[in-house]
Amino acid sequence: MTWLKLVEGYMPMQMIAELTLCILFFAALNYMLKKAGMGIPKFWAGIGVWVFIQLYLKYRIYPPLPFSIRAIYGTVSLCGIFMWVSGSQAEWEEFRRPILDVLDGKTPLHRAVRAVLLVALPIGLGAFAFNSFKPSFEEPIELRTVHPAPPATTKVHGKTYVLQVAQNPYRVNKEGKYDQEYTNAHITEQAMGRLMKSLGPEDNPWNPNAEGYIKYVREGGEIFFQNCHFCHGDNLNGRGLWAYAFNPIPANFTDAGTIAQLQETFVFWRVAKGGIGLPGEGFPWASVMPPWEQHLTVDEIWKVIMFEYWHTGYYPRTWD
Amino acid sequence: MCKTEQKNEHQGVWFRGLAVASVLFVSVVLIFGGFAVSFAQEEEIPEGFVKQQPPSAPTPEQIEAGKRVYFTKCVWCHGVKGSGDGPAADRLWPRPRNFNAGTFKIRHTASGELPLIDVDLFRTVTHGLPGSAMPPWDGILTEEQRRDVLAFVTEELVVDRDWQDEEFETFTVLQLDKIQPKEATPESIKRGSELVVEKKCIECHGLEGRGDGNAFNLKDDWGFPIQPADWHKCWNFRGSRQDPYNVRNIFRTFSTGLNGTPMPSFADSTTIEERWDIANYVNSLCEREKDIDIAGGKVTEEIAETLSKGKALEIDPLTDKPKINFVIPSKYVEGDLPSDEHDERWNIVPRRWVAMGGQITHKPRNFVNRIDDIWVQSLYNDTHIVFMFRWDDRTKSVLQEEVEWDPTEVNLEDYGVEEQPPGGSLFEDDPFHSESIAAKQNQYPVYNDSIAFQFPVKWQELPAPQKPRYFWGDEKFSVDITKWDADGNLYTFTGTGWDQDFEERDFADQIEVKKAEWKDGRWTVIIQRPLKGDYEEDAYIELGKYIPMNFFAWDGHNGDVGRKMAVSAFYYLVLEPEIPTEAYVYPVLMAIGLVIVEGWVLVRRANRRKGKITT
Repeated sequence: MTWLKLVEGYMPMQMIAELTLCILFFAALNYMLKKAGMGIPKFWAGIGVWVFIQLYLKYRIYPPLPFSIRAIYGTVSLCGIFMWVSGSQAEWEEFRRPILDVLDGKTPLHRAVRAVLLVALPIGLGAFAFNSFKPSFEEPIELRTVHPAPPATTKVHGKTYVLQVAQNPYRVNKEGKYDQEYTNAHITEQAMGRLMKSLGPEDNPWNPNAEGYIKYVREGGEIFFQNCHFCHGDNLNGRGLWAYAFNPIPANFTDAGTIAQLQETFVFWRVAKGGIGLPGEGFPWASVMPPWEQHLTVDEIWKVIMFEYWHTGYYPRTWD
Repeated sequence: MCKTEQKNEHQGVWFRGLAVASVLFVSVVLIFGGFAVSFAQEEEIPEGFVKQQPPSAPTPEQIEAGKRVYFTKCVWCHGVKGSGDGPAADRLWPRPRNFNAGTFKIRHTASGELPLIDVDLFRTVTHGLPGSAMPPWDGILTEEQRRDVLAFVTEELVVDRDWQDEEFETFTVLQLDKIQPKEATPESIKRGSELVVEKKCIECHGLEGRGDGNAFNLKDDWGFPIQPADWHKCWNFRGSRQDPYNVRNIFRTFSTGLNGTPMPSFADSTTIEERWDIANYVNSLCEREKDIDIAGGKVTEEIAETLSKGKALEIDPLTDKPKINFVIPSKYVEGDLPSDEHDERWNIVPRRWVAMGGQITHKPRNFVNRIDDIWVQSLYNDTHIVFMFRWDDRTKSVLQEEVEWDPTEVNLEDYGVEEQPPGGSLFEDDPFHSESIAAKQNQYPVYNDSIAFQFPVKWQELPAPQKPRYFWGDEKFSVDITKWDADGNLYTFTGTGWDQDFEERDFADQIEVKKAEWKDGRWTVIIQRPLKGDYEEDAYIELGKYIPMNFFAWDGHNGDVGRKMAVSAFYYLVLEPEIPTEAYVYPVLMAIGLVIVEGWVLVRRANRRKGKITT
């Protein structure tokens, strides 16, 4: 479905809204059919809704949900459907009538269905059991902690930084004073595209008259596009040239769950120490993130961090 | 000048031209029902093309809006003046496009013409150019923002040409949507395989189309080395528009050529039908689930049949590359393990696509990795395991001169192996960017092509998912590395860290290189090793376990040596055991159990209806 895309970040809300709309539509349809005297039996309506939810979860969501998750949703929706069909004694009777009819073999058709089911169910169960007994080698699911607890201090190029109090020396106003409010006012706008707010010297890193904060943003951007874009991508969304080759995949800075959730000093620690500097829960053995202290100076690291916040339109978190 | 000459000629052959044109017109209408060709003024228009009016000029507001998009997103690669000299440029190959001359590769317009802004350039921005650093901007920029930025680029940054210049610019547009593709029958594919020889495609693209025909002498309009496309990796075709197996994209490239590159347009020298045959053949070569041997391009009817039926690889919509499966299965075979790629027994086990990225963690970083994937297959018997590695490499590289360092040494900066500096030369000062990675592509010293794989030593003792570091292990957990070099050497090393020199082991004596051959742009290397060695040093390969494994590949002509190489993520090798008896016994028992339950339910229901049970 290219015309209606699941957008990263909005996906859970989109999913709930779509499912709700579909269920409402089914309810309205059911109501109208009933009015017209063509009501669908509760039994089939219930099965239909359950199958629809399963198909929706399986084919609409990407990357695909694992079977275990779909099984949980399947059970929950089954419970919901049971509550719906057993609202009153009469409805419950109506719901189970087709089942009992088959068990009793009421008509020749029912008897035929019963015969087929009696044979098919044990075969189906046997096949399912064989499949689960057969040794299978699916990719193991390994969950890593994306934002592990940071250390209190980190030593970069011979200098110790206390993460609680360290500040980005380039996050400065026109007077050259540390000023997060000023810099936050000049990040990209919070709309689709996240474009610079204006072409003026306070918002545009490429304006020849740019100075202070926004000039440092450009210098950070130059470093980003000489070093980081190969993995983190030209739009900082973790879809760079080689993103497909690595596992874990590079971080997506445009996602509200990455740098937007972090203090700038945490990012400083992560950038300086890289994958090899992660604690065990972060899978240091698998990450190809360079320890940037081997490639960049401290000043360059601070500038590139500032560029990342500017370009994605996020503010770093502060301690207060 | 050229134009006036053409006009005189037109007058001279007016009647004949008219006759030819009407015959052409009628036949085209007959073949492609409803597809209209305007033949009134220009008889020279190649088949399938139509003249079109130039696009209208964008508004100043659009250009101004586009400037804001450009200086937020594009300037970093394409530069302030659009000369393809942004901060990123000197570490990229291919370099970012220099817009100034108005030369664009992917077009529906005839060779040499400007592209259609709202079709060609819009789709390039929307879908990106795979195989280069240009990403798809769909979902990032709105449609309006994409059109705005194109207004800015085409009006302000393309300086040598002008879309509204009616005197010099023509738009002869391929009617791709109106031409019905020819079905990819075995006959069409076979005909295509003959045509790529007749039309000399193979002179650049190579006998099997792996881009190895003329890998080193081609240059683009700016003088940078450029390599012919590898037809086996359609997901890297610049014009694949996030739809790599779509034959129309190949037909388009073939019909209009790639401006600024040695790839010409074949619109004048082939019929539409011939172009479909070639496109079908090229498309059929793009890798499928099973490897198809095309015998050096001598496609027989049987091969054409197989090609026409190959099942396309599943493409991951998040990366637009083939989907990765991180489990590499190995299956049991009786007797000796296969020693060449034609052994039938390879068919019982799927081959795995292993994606490779440049090594960019430690110096010297590899910003241009010419090897971007390898294929791996594995089989085992009671004592040994065999791996078949196959990967495309346009050049066979064997070490030319003795090197000063020892094979166990890894820190080669002291010997002058260095990474590309960031550069930053501007086009106006230095049009050839001679210090850029693109300019240096053909000047590297030639080292060995190599491949290596590593297992953790004593992986059995590691609590999953813990592993030694992907990059040659670490001081706590060492790794068992097997490395093959194109000069014929095979080594087994113990690795204890990315910057720690290897320790050589004599386990290599027990490892056999059963085949190592470079043919038509592809390496086939088959390596067999014992399942077990010394437990303390050599990884034990055990049945039914997930054994971490990762890969390294070097392209000698890319100057790859030491840490300058391509690297993969962790994969898992799994030796699939035979199905245990329990897997047959329990399902049968469960089915019988269910039959008993069914009987019980039916009896109970029947009794209840007869009124014997009153509850």
